[in-house]
Amino acid sequence: MPDRTDQLTDQPRHSAVDDAQGIAFGVTMAALGMHILTHMGFVTGQTTGLAVLIAHLTGLPFPAVYFTVTLPFLGLAWRRMGARFALKTLVTTAALSGLVAVLPSWVELGRIEPTVAAILIGLLFGIAALAAIRHGGSFGGLSVLWIELQDRTGFPAGHAQLLSDVVIFGLAALIMPLDTLAYSFLGAAVFSLFLAVNHRRDRYVAV
Amino acid sequence: MTDPGKHSLIEDAQGIAYGATMAAFGITILTHLGLVTGQTAGLAVLIAYATGWGFGPVFFAVNLPFYLLGYLRMGLRFTVKTFAAVALLSALSVWMPGQLSFATLNPWLGAVLFGFLSGSALLALFRHGASLGGIGILALMLQDRLGWRAGWVQLGFDAGLFALAFLVVPPETVAISFAGALVVNLVIAVNHRRDRYIAA
Repeated sequence: MPDRTDQLTDQPRHSAVDDAQGIAFGVTMAALGMHILTHMGFVTGQTTGLAVLIAHLTGLPFPAVYFTVTLPFLGLAWRRMGARFALKTLVTTAALSGLVAVLPSWVELGRIEPTVAAILIGLLFGIAALAAIRHGGSFGGLSVLWIELQDRTGFPAGHAQLLSDVVIFGLAALIMPLDTLAYSFLGAAVFSLFLAVNHRRDRYVAV
Repeated sequence: MTDPGKHSLIEDAQGIAYGATMAAFGITILTHLGLVTGQTAGLAVLIAYATGWGFGPVFFAVNLPFYLLGYLRMGLRFTVKTFAAVALLSALSVWMPGQLSFATLNPWLGAVLFGFLSGSALLALFRHGASLGGIGILALMLQDRLGWRAGWVQLGFDAGLFALAFLVVPPETVAISFAGALVVNLVIAVNHRRDRYIAA
């Protein structure tokens, strides 16, 4: 038995298997969420939302667009967070894009009530992000840019994130019916609320 | 920020709502594919398939006798939260299949999705001081009274359920169901750690 001081200072650490299952879980839940999102023709915030818009405007397949959109931010992630983080992000986004690409051949969704779809998307994205964050993974993309912006110019990253979502939803308003936009907003709100309440490093203490 | 060591009422409520919703999504997939599973939900699924009754009302009824045990063994807070989770899951699992349908769904993928969804649902419920049913409590009670190891009792119960399942569904369905139940249990075994998620 370690003595009392050792017990108190011993930080619980995830093993490689812990992290692998956490990220596999996150990728699967995010892929299911994206499958429902694209099936319903909804939009969302940040990198996924940007990819939805580009895919919509160009007619290119969403998974390929999503993967491509995350690539430019990998260099930034490498500089800021190190090679290990950047590599993990690359593996995660590649696995996510791959799964979203093959998912339609295993599961074809039928009719889904839009409110139910929006809530499920919010919960699935929320739990996926929570698992990824807790296991040191990341779905990559825009957020690292906002952190960089904050460091360079002092503009708060949270504000930049919110502002960019306003722009994405604003652009979506030009090409989407208003009710689709409202359901999309509900999904994004559930996602944000879920993370706001549950992402607590003081409660989930393992790293 | 609320107290890191203690969930507020709203935090518990959203955790229970999350757990019941994801569990209902999982049950919608499970029953759509005609798969079975373990524990109290597994018993309810088998009864539902054998009688043609819906999963929701059967699950709600099967849980009723266990609330007294829950109250004696785990206290009032746990019992009230568990009742809320079971009632919400029962209602949602009646309602959800009408809201969401699958054109096609590969059963192996469905089993894995069921495993992740219900594993994550149970994890959220445990972390917020609730549960989804009586067999686990009964197993803890038997360990206290008779010294039977709770883990073995639960394993024995699931073995019995899966043996009975052979009478109700085809053998291939039992195999796919087993994969789903394995994923649920792996998610709980790896992630349910009070030393990592410290809030109560």
